[in-house]
This record gives sequence, C-alpha cells and structure tokens, in this order.
Amino acid sequence: MSDRMRESLSALMDGEADELELERVLRQIGEDSELRETWVRYHAVQTVHSGQAFPDLTIDISARVRDELNSVPAANQRRWQSLLRPVAGFAVAASVATTVVLGGQQLAGLDPAAAGSESSVAAGVSPVGLVNSLGATSVRASYGTQAPPVLQPATRTAYSELARQRLQRFAQEHAEQAALNTPQGMLPFARVERITE
Amino acid sequence: MLTTQARRLCRWLLAAATSLPALTLAASCPGADPEALQWLDRMSRSSHQTAYHGVVTLQRGEDMQVMQISHSVNGDNSSEQLTKLTGQGAQIVRESHPLDCVHTGHRLLQLGSNLGAGECGVAEYYRFEVSKGERIAGRQAVRILVEPLDMYRYGYLMELDSETGLLLKSSTLGRGDLVLERFQFADLSYGSPMPSSADVEVVHEASHPLPDSAMSTADVSGAWAVGWLPRGFVVTDSRSESNGRRTYTDGLAAFSVFLEPLSREIRSGEGIAREGSTLSYTRGLSLDGQPVLVTVIGEVPVNTARMVADSVRWTQ
Repeated sequence: MSDRMRESLSALMDGEADELELERVLRQIGEDSELRETWVRYHAVQTVHSGQAFPDLTIDISARVRDELNSVPAANQRRWQSLLRPVAGFAVAASVATTVVLGGQQLAGLDPAAAGSESSVAAGVSPVGLVNSLGATSVRASYGTQAPPVLQPATRTAYSELARQRLQRFAQEHAEQAALNTPQGMLPFARVERITE
Repeated sequence: MLTTQARRLCRWLLAAATSLPALTLAASCPGADPEALQWLDRMSRSSHQTAYHGVVTLQRGEDMQVMQISHSVNGDNSSEQLTKLTGQGAQIVRESHPLDCVHTGHRLLQLGSNLGAGECGVAEYYRFEVSKGERIAGRQAVRILVEPLDMYRYGYLMELDSETGLLLKSSTLGRGDLVLERFQFADLSYGSPMPSSADVEVVHEASHPLPDSAMSTADVSGAWAVGWLPRGFVVTDSRSESNGRRTYTDGLAAFSVFLEPLSREIRSGEGIAREGSTLSYTRGLSLDGQPVLVTVIGEVPVNTARMVADSVRWTQ
C-alpha cells in the first residue's frame, strides 16, 4: 500500500476525502488486501473510540468485534486485531462489506434539507445522468412517480462501485437460475468471474 | 434416491408454473412465424435431451473465454458439465437432472401442440426471421434473427444445428445491433462425453434449486414484490417468497432482483456495472421508511432494470 493511498484512507476516515481520493480508494480496495485490512483496523478503532455502532450495511462484523472488546482488556489489542484478520481474509466478502461501508460513509449522513432541495431539483428538471447506450433505446424511463435521482459525482462513484460489488456477489446466484431458464444451457456460469463452491 | 428427490422437487417447482400467462392466453399474433417457433421448440428440447460435447467460446468485448461443455443422457436423466479452460480453473456440474423436468424458461419455448392451436408464445415479444445459416463447428446451421418488439429486452442472432436444433452460436444484440456477447461452438460431437483432462481448481455443483439451498442472500423479513415486469416475463421458481431474490424469464432472457435491507439511511441513488450483456443495476432507496438496496442483475437493458427496481414494494 502506497503512502498516497494511506493518506487517502485517513482523509476518508476523517471525512475529509475529496472525490478523487474516494475514487482512488474504491478502485484499489477490491484488489489490495493490505488496504482492506488497514481500513478494517482503522475503522474498528474509530468505531470503538466513538462508541458508534458499526455501520453494518450488509455484513455485521461490528457485533463480534464489540463483544470481544467488552470481554477483553482494552490494552490487549493483539487479540482483537487477530480477530479482524479472518474477516479481512474472506477477500470477496470483506471487500463487499468494506465497499458498502465505505460507499455508505459517503452516502450516509445526508442533511435532510439538502436532500429535499436535491429531489425538488430532480423533479423540476428533465433528468439526466445514466444514458442507456447499450439498450434498445436511450429513453430514460422510470416506473411510478419518482424521478430518477440526479447524483453528485461522489455519490455516483460510490454507487457504481456498489453495482460492481453486487455483480461479483450475486452473479453466480443469477447464473444458477439463468442456466435453467434460458436457451444456452450451462453457459450463464461462464459469465461469472469467479465461480465459488 | 437423489433422482426421486429431484423429480419430486421438479414437480413441486413447476406446480405453481402451470398457469403461465403465455400458455393460457390464446392471443392472436398475426406476425408470428410458426417455422421460427418450431425451431425454438426444437432448440429447447435438444439442449436437454441430446447427448453432445464440445468446445465453446464466449466473447464479451475484448475478453474471450474458452470452455468445454458436455451433456449426456442416461435413462430418464441428463447430466451436464462446463469446464472453464481459460481464466479460473472452474468446473460446474449438474447430475441427475430428470428429462421430464422442464423449467419455466424452456416451458415458454416448448409450445408443442399449442403452436398449432394458434399459440404464439415468445412471438408476442419478439419478431423472428429464419434463413439459411453458415457452417459452425462443422455443422450446417439455420439462422434465426430475433428482434425485440419493445425496448425491454435485447435481440439475438441464433444459429441452430439444422439437423438437431441444438444452439450452435448466439449473439446478443444491443441497440444498433451492437454485439454485446457472442457464444459459439468451436468443436462439437454428438454422443457420449469425452474425458476431460483440464486442470480444475473449483468444482461447483449447480443447484437444482433446492428448498433450503445455501443461497447467498439472507432471508428478508417482510414479504416484498416486484410491481412491474416487462410483458412476458414470469417468475422462475415460486419458492422465493421470503427470500432476498426473485428471478424472471421470458424464455430467452433472464434477470434477478435482489433486495437487501440496510441498517441505516443512505443517500438515495443508482449505479450500474456491465460485463458483456450482463448488467448490474443497484438502487438505494427507502421503502416505507426502511432503507434498502435493490439490485437487478441480468441480460436486459438498463431501463428494464431501472423500472423493475423502481417498482419493488413491501407487500405487508
């Protein structure tokens, strides 16, 4: 992990990261296990100090860490650090959790007033953003009354990352169904980047 | 034992699918090409009932994967195998799949005698054009151009073995006939499978969706439903009531919807990721005050995914 990445990471932890830094970390975190472990460690420390609940958007590793911390003297950091390692060891699962939470930090804590103004803008202006460049049409469709959200660049980056992570996580489950219900037989499994047992 | 179980399960799975709209509605479809529908019916049956093996390539953008596929029939059961020869050394196997177990997607294509009775099946959503194809993997092919009649699905260019109906090559076409994905047999033999000497790291046993199979999605408390589907899409299994996933198919394409409740608010928004013809669309929103992530993964255009995600509701 480079010094630059370390700086980006701590800026992110302090809530001072700009968009570029967020993007840099998101891009790297799936591939860099050291970065992932460092992040989990930083975050656990911060969480414990601030007494916040771990933002368990999908995988709750907080309860385990907190319980363990309650039962172990605070000075004894080794033990709970080793506890974190297996978590980080599930490379895919951890990177999903990490990214969701990382993304979540950017996506959460929204000022309700700001949210209101954002959505009223979205409702008043013809929505732009995602363009269907590959589909059958470029019309921006929406079911129901909600206008598709207009996203800030940082939010958009976090969401693209979420979509990518969801794909990694759910591709095989979708392939199981597609393989039984579309004409190409087992071929849908070939679309899954990494097959797991 | 396993077979008996599989058969019983199959019956259960399909019990709820007996009243598929495509089979009950005798819609009139003057534009339907009975020849094309007959070929699709044959294609669907041959993929399940014929014994064959060969080498298949899958091209998505710059990426090209090569794999071995084998399908064998033993009595009333079939078994199949896919072995990746490039990239990850993975093998997917499915043993003892009863021949009379026809899943929803194939049922939509196997119109059989209903075809004569004016049934048009997938011709309600696609236009077909049959012509003579080229040679693929040494076999003479019949070409079927499949064009979507609405904007909610992709088109296909399919080439079927002119003798057996087996799908030899298939290209998924996006807007402007852009090829999103192409799969094709490079080599094909009919008969018993060849022994494989490929180096395999991971073997995955493909599920015949079992009631309590280890799905990666946690149970979602509270029933939920998708309020809107493109015409012709039906649910693939009826067991997913309390599950975090729903999958839908129109016979040619499939997509799955995943619902994940979140423990706290997130900024609402949407994001997409693509791999070839596969789309992942994630939407963060609040359903009656409960923050959730809705993800649609499948081989459909982004508008379809967006509208489906937009229509997800709690039902209790």
